[in-house]
Amino acid sequence: MAEPAARHDPEPSAPVDEESLVRRARRGDLEAYDELVRRYQERIYATIYHMTSNHEDANDLAQESFVKAFQALKTFKGGSSFYTWLYRIAVNKTINFLKQRKNRTHMSLNDLDFNAEHDPDLVALISDKTPRRDAGLTELQEKLNAAMLKLSEPHRLVVVLHDVQGLSHDEIARIMECNIGTVRSRLFYARQQLQGYLSDYLRPS
Amino acid sequence: MNESENDFESLRRLLAIKRHEIPPPGYFNNFPGQVMARVRAGETDAPEGITAPSWLLKFIQAFEAKPAYVSSFACSLCLLLLFGIVYAERPDGTEKPSLLTAFAPSSASLVEAKSADFSSSAQTTGLMINTNPVLSLQPVGALFSRQNPLAQPMNVSLQWPGN
Repeated sequence: MAEPAARHDPEPSAPVDEESLVRRARRGDLEAYDELVRRYQERIYATIYHMTSNHEDANDLAQESFVKAFQALKTFKGGSSFYTWLYRIAVNKTINFLKQRKNRTHMSLNDLDFNAEHDPDLVALISDKTPRRDAGLTELQEKLNAAMLKLSEPHRLVVVLHDVQGLSHDEIARIMECNIGTVRSRLFYARQQLQGYLSDYLRPS
Repeated sequence: MNESENDFESLRRLLAIKRHEIPPPGYFNNFPGQVMARVRAGETDAPEGITAPSWLLKFIQAFEAKPAYVSSFACSLCLLLLFGIVYAERPDGTEKPSLLTAFAPSSASLVEAKSADFSSSAQTTGLMINTNPVLSLQPVGALFSRQNPLAQPMNVSLQWPGN
């Protein structure tokens, strides 16, 4: 199986260090919790942002997730890593939010960074082999986000966690509290759906 | 599975766009400060001494998204309140009125008793009970019925000077 393009290490620092931070935060040490927020803010924000396609919603939900995690730290038993537990809080909060929002979707997309124009994968996509060769990166970005929003929340989440965030099937199964087979089947179905929605912008295989 | 991965290679390349979407510059510098401000605000809003006890929180949480429990609990509270009123109305605890009939007669008797008390006090103070606002505050017999002991009948003849 091919590994995801951008692989993020779910636990970037030594686990002992994280454990001690969590222990201190549980005792009410705000400096320790501030360190944990700095450590995981980008991945938590990115996951929520890719699920909502809206920066303002992602900002609110990410903040709420960290606040809720702090309040619930005393109930954290340590059965999973803090990272997985925090991810679960953020994912549940986001899915609840999306269910309440239903079809009232409003995209507020972030800008693409400078490196996007030089990414070989993206350069290939807007080359002459692509059916819609006139499509620019911004248009592709909008079409991709719109297509993602058409997926159901569990399918979108699997795509975000695996193909965008780079988590393994096993990690996704732990976060979503389901088995690996479910993760794989959801990923396959979601990709099929996306391929159908975006056929005009994909190079024929 | 490798075959299916190859099938989606083009899609995975397109999904690479998502990794280039970044929030406004400096966003992650301010984010921890905002989170910690909310954490501190949450602590000051609900300090240890003022927070609801854990049993109460559990009790409230037990009713979340359970309308049947909430309505049955509310019904039982109403019944308790009704029983309380019925037993409070009875002068002594010897006889037990039925739930349906006890409430109305006791209210009627209360109204009668109140009006009787008021009438007797009105009699003694000479007040007449009337809905007419002019007459209601007049002492009974003050205008015509009570005789003044100093008043004597006298004959008065009026004669004009010219007659």
